[in-house]
Amino acid sequence: MADIGKVRIRVPSTIKKGDVVRVKSIVTHPMEIVERDKQGKPIEKKYNYIYMIIVSYNGKEIAQFETTQSISQNPYLSFAFKPDKPGQLKITYLDTKGGKYEGTQEIAF
Amino acid sequence: MRRYHALVVAGLVLAGGIEAGSVGTARSMGDLPPEAPPTAKPEAKPAEVKPRIIQQRASKATPEGRGDFQVYPDGKKLQIRYKGGPFGGVAKADLSPWRTYDYANKTPEPPVPEAVKMPADLKGDPAKGRKLFMDRERAPCTGCHLIPGEDVWPAGNIGPDLSTYGDLNRPESYTYEIIYDARKYFPDTAMPPWGTTGLFKPEEIVHLVAFLHSLKGPLSPEKDPNRNPNTRAKPVGFGDNLDPTNNPAVLLMDDAKDFWGKKGPKGKSCADCHTADPEKSMRGVAPKYPKYLAKYQRVMSIEDFLSRHAPETTGMEMLVESQENLNMSILLKYASNGLRVQVDTMSPEARAAYERGKAGFFKRVGQRNHACADCHTPDKGGGKFLGGRLLVIASEGSTKHFPTWRTNFGVVWDIRKRMQWCMDPLGMHMLPADAVEYAELELYLTAFDNGKPLSVPGIRH
Repeated sequence: MADIGKVRIRVPSTIKKGDVVRVKSIVTHPMEIVERDKQGKPIEKKYNYIYMIIVSYNGKEIAQFETTQSISQNPYLSFAFKPDKPGQLKITYLDTKGGKYEGTQEIAF
Repeated sequence: MRRYHALVVAGLVLAGGIEAGSVGTARSMGDLPPEAPPTAKPEAKPAEVKPRIIQQRASKATPEGRGDFQVYPDGKKLQIRYKGGPFGGVAKADLSPWRTYDYANKTPEPPVPEAVKMPADLKGDPAKGRKLFMDRERAPCTGCHLIPGEDVWPAGNIGPDLSTYGDLNRPESYTYEIIYDARKYFPDTAMPPWGTTGLFKPEEIVHLVAFLHSLKGPLSPEKDPNRNPNTRAKPVGFGDNLDPTNNPAVLLMDDAKDFWGKKGPKGKSCADCHTADPEKSMRGVAPKYPKYLAKYQRVMSIEDFLSRHAPETTGMEMLVESQENLNMSILLKYASNGLRVQVDTMSPEARAAYERGKAGFFKRVGQRNHACADCHTPDKGGGKFLGGRLLVIASEGSTKHFPTWRTNFGVVWDIRKRMQWCMDPLGMHMLPADAVEYAELELYLTAFDNGKPLSVPGIRH
């Protein structure tokens, strides 16, 4: 898969001061599926998946999301926040193999 | 260890001209090990009955997209269909007797019977009739006709509202004739000839007649406006189809960009002849497809062309309906997004193909004896509900968003797979996804989009 870790962020095209902004984000990530043995039992090993998503605004962490193995391929995350001043939104995806994928989006009023 | 034996399927001469005389392959099933692909296994058949697999014609589509046949020793022929989505892996019945879009298929329309007599010795049961009317496996009649009842969901409105049919006081024999074969009174009807093609047995039609004549007013007030297709809200769509956080198909282009730079067995990649950035170098290519290509002497869509062009230049396969083909088609069309569709229908070859495609649109096919026009022209089903689905009007343009993400299946379909899916309810064999018949039909449909901006990938239910 191309572009593993490419983070795409979408925010509304016009944002006014005081608006609650709906942020949509998606990261390209393969998300290893649990393998099972012949008895159908999950094979214990370290699977590669996104386990944490950190959102920061103007360098200050504003949210953390913990995710588990059941997260989908190319996971999609949507949340709302209310920026008090213009700035840079950064979303960081961390996977279990040490991958750290960042995307940024400027928010202007 | 699979063994392949060549088998010549004689007598197929195709109007497209390139595949003069079709060569297919048959697999000897006895040699297959247990880990054989599931398509090669007969479903729910005793172990001793092993079908041969016959390819219907030369094709550059995936095995599922080719519509190969499983032929059983008793002559029964079941078509292999896609495993995923609504297709169900293999056709439920042998559909060989019915007319298809194949230009070589000379099967006539089922003839209109001269006299249809309602069996006088049978008494209809309205309750049984209602059950038949609603039976999803059989039609259902509610796909096109509304009847009273909160359990009727969702009903369509292609045919007349039958909620108070009994009040019309039609003779029962007339109702029987209409269901058996409405073409006697309405030669261009969109209603299938249920009796003539054996979809309903005479005694079943008698039950349906009894049910319809039991429908009398006054009607109780409608509780839910969405139950009635005439007052139902039209679907609003799924938002911005080019937003990667909204349409998963946008992400599939990444894989195609990988492919773009990959060197094939012939030592070349797409990027070697075109440039490294397909979004720039391919801009303006897609709006001209489907088009007539002199090299292949037929009309081809982007998908068809890739299936030939990729192996010829890079040595890599890109079969129609394979994920690689779909991804690349999305990428190439995405590169032209916003540009207006401009397919050629004026050159002599394109004109002839367009006319054949148009004839295909109006050709009646399958066990249900439907034409595309029955559902997709505004004077018939276009813009109305088929069950809960709003039907597209072909003349308003219907191809500029394909390949499109199907929200209900979670995969991308190109227009060919959409056409192939129509073949299932019509009761007929589908053609290979890259069939010239489909290409010319696509040309006819795409011509309606001329002048409108391309927007790929689409997103639809």
